[in-house]
Amino acid sequence: MSARRIFAIARRVMRQILRDHRTVGLLLVVPTVLLTLGAILFRAEPAPMSLGIANRDQPVAVPMAARPIAIGEQIAAQLAADGMFRVRDVSEGEADALLRDGSVQGVLVFAPDFSAQFVRNRKVVLDLRLEGSNPGRSAAIAARVTQAAIRALAGMAAGGSQGAEPPVTLNATYLYAGPQFDTLDFVAPVFLGFLALFFVFLLTCVSFLRERAQATMERLLATPASRAEIVLGYMGGLGLFALLQVTVILCFTIWVLKIHYLGSLALLFLVIALLAVVAVSLGILASAFARNEFQVVQFIPLVIFPQVLLGGTIWAVEEMPSYLQPFAYVVPLTYANRALRDVMLKGWRLGDIWPNLLILAAFAVVLTLLGVRTMRRDVA
Amino acid sequence: MDVIVETSGIRKHFGPVRAVDGVDMAVRTGEIYGLLGPNGSGKTTLIRLLVGLLRPSGGSARVLGRAVPDKAILAQVGYMPQANALYEDLTVRENIAFFGEMCGGVSRHRVDELIALVDLSDRADSLVRTLSGGMRQRTSLACALVHKPRLLLLDEPTVGVDPQLRVAFWDYFRQLARDGATLIVSSHVMDEAERCDRLGFMRQGRLLAEGTASDLREKAGADTLEEAFIRFAERGLEGGQP
Repeated sequence: MSARRIFAIARRVMRQILRDHRTVGLLLVVPTVLLTLGAILFRAEPAPMSLGIANRDQPVAVPMAARPIAIGEQIAAQLAADGMFRVRDVSEGEADALLRDGSVQGVLVFAPDFSAQFVRNRKVVLDLRLEGSNPGRSAAIAARVTQAAIRALAGMAAGGSQGAEPPVTLNATYLYAGPQFDTLDFVAPVFLGFLALFFVFLLTCVSFLRERAQATMERLLATPASRAEIVLGYMGGLGLFALLQVTVILCFTIWVLKIHYLGSLALLFLVIALLAVVAVSLGILASAFARNEFQVVQFIPLVIFPQVLLGGTIWAVEEMPSYLQPFAYVVPLTYANRALRDVMLKGWRLGDIWPNLLILAAFAVVLTLLGVRTMRRDVA
Repeated sequence: MDVIVETSGIRKHFGPVRAVDGVDMAVRTGEIYGLLGPNGSGKTTLIRLLVGLLRPSGGSARVLGRAVPDKAILAQVGYMPQANALYEDLTVRENIAFFGEMCGGVSRHRVDELIALVDLSDRADSLVRTLSGGMRQRTSLACALVHKPRLLLLDEPTVGVDPQLRVAFWDYFRQLARDGATLIVSSHVMDEAERCDRLGFMRQGRLLAEGTASDLREKAGADTLEEAFIRFAERGLEGGQP
C-alpha cells in the first residue's frame, strides 16, 4: 500500500474527468434540472378538471319549506365552489361527445325527478358519466362529487327536516375502460413505449459509436452504400428487436400481470414500431455528439428522463401546470404515450389515433434527416 | 497506358495542419504505385481524398474518370483502411460477405475463393475478435477485394504483418496488377517499395519525387531508396520546392 500511488491515481482520475468539460457540466446541471422538473410536477396544484353538469332537475315544493327544494342546483353550487373543478353546463345528449374529445373529464347528470326522488326516498343517486381511461382521475372526480353532494344535503338537513345524514350513492358509468382498470393498466401501455424508446436509443447510440470507433463506418462509406441506406438498415434491424422485446413484455403483462386492455394489439405494435424508428434516429443523432460509451450513458438523463417526466408517462399532460404543458408537445414520447393509451385504454382504432402517428412520423423524418447530416463524410 | 488516378494541386487542411499540401500525381492503369513516406506525411489523407471520404480543401482529383468525391466510382474501388475496420462480432466469412453485399452482392463461391486466397480457410467461421493481428489484416484485405475492384487503395496493408505473409501479400498484389487492377499502396517500409512499379515520396503533405525505384536512386545519386528519400527531403527543404 502506497498512499502516494493511491493519491496519484485519484489525481489522474480527477484530471481526466475535469478535462471532459461536458461531463462536469452534466454532473452539475442535469440533476438540478431534473430535480426542478420533478419538484414542479410533484408539488404543483393540478390544473382544474372540467366537469360538465346536465341539470334537468325540477324543483319540488314542500309544504313545510319556505322555498322549493332543488337538490341538483345545490350540488352544482357546491361543485362550482370547489377549486378542483371548472364547471360548465352541458346537455345530456352531448355528454359522450364532450368526454371523447377531452373537453370535459366527467358529466354529472341530474334527472328531472332528482329532487322529487330525494323528497320521496330521503336519498340521492348521483348519475356520473366518466371518461374512464385514467383510473386515478376517475376516482378523484367520483370522490369530490360525492363529497359535494354530502355537503349540499347536509346544508339542507340543517335547514329543517331530519338529523340523520342523508345517504348518497354514486352510480358511475364509463365511456372507456371502467372500474376494473387500475393504475397499472394506466401505466402499462406507456411503459411499453418507454422501454422501446430507452433500449433502442441506447442500442443505436452504442452500435453507431462502435461503428465509428472501429472505422467500419469509414469502410462502409467507402462502398456504394449511401448514408440513407445505412440509417434505414439500422432502423430495420433495431426496430425488429424493439418489437421482439415488446412482444415478450406484452405477453408478460397480459398473462402474468393480467393487465386490462381494450384495443387491437396489431395497432399497438404499429405505434411501438414508429416509436422505435424515432428512437433509432434520435440515437444516431446523439451518437454524433458522443466520443465514448461513457458519454452515451450521459445521454440517458439528458434525452430520456425529460421525455418521461414531460411526456405524460406518470402525470397526464393536461394535469401538469399550464406553463409546463408546451414542453410536453416538443417531445416525441408525448405522442406515442397518447396513441398507446388511446389504443389500450379506449380501444381506439387507426382512424382515431392517426394524428398522433403522423406527428411521430414527422419527428422520425426530421430526426433522421438531422442524423444523416451528422454522418458527415468529412471526418477528421 | 491510360491514367486512372490524377490529382492536380490537391490540398486538405485540418485547421492549421496542412495534411496534404498540393500534390500532383498520376497513376496509370495496371501499375502498382507506392506512396512512401514517414508517419504523418499525408499518405492516409491522400488516400482518403481519393476514395472520397474527405472533400479536398483545394485542387482536384480525378479517379476512374470522375472528379472525387463521387459515390459512383465506389463500386469499382476497393479500400483497405489502416485500422482493421472489421466487425469484431462477426466471423471472417460474414465480414467478407457483408462488404460483398454493400458492393452489390457477390456469390458464396466468390467469398470462399477469397477466404482460400488469404489462407484463412480453417478460420473462416471464427469470430474476428478471436483472430491474431495478421489474420485480421488478411480478412481486411479480402473485404477490400471482394467485388473485384478495378482500383485498389491499400493504406499500409502490411503493417504488423510477419515477413512471410508480407511476401505473400506482395506476390498477390503483383498477381492483381497482372490481371488488370491498379493498386495504390502506402507504406513507410522502404524495402517494400522495390516491389512497386512506380513510387511517390511523400513528406509533410507534399510529393517530393516520383518515378521507378531505380530512377529515384539515380536522380538522387544514392545507393538505397532510404538514402534517396533523405536526399530528396533535404533538397526539398533547401529549394523550398519539392
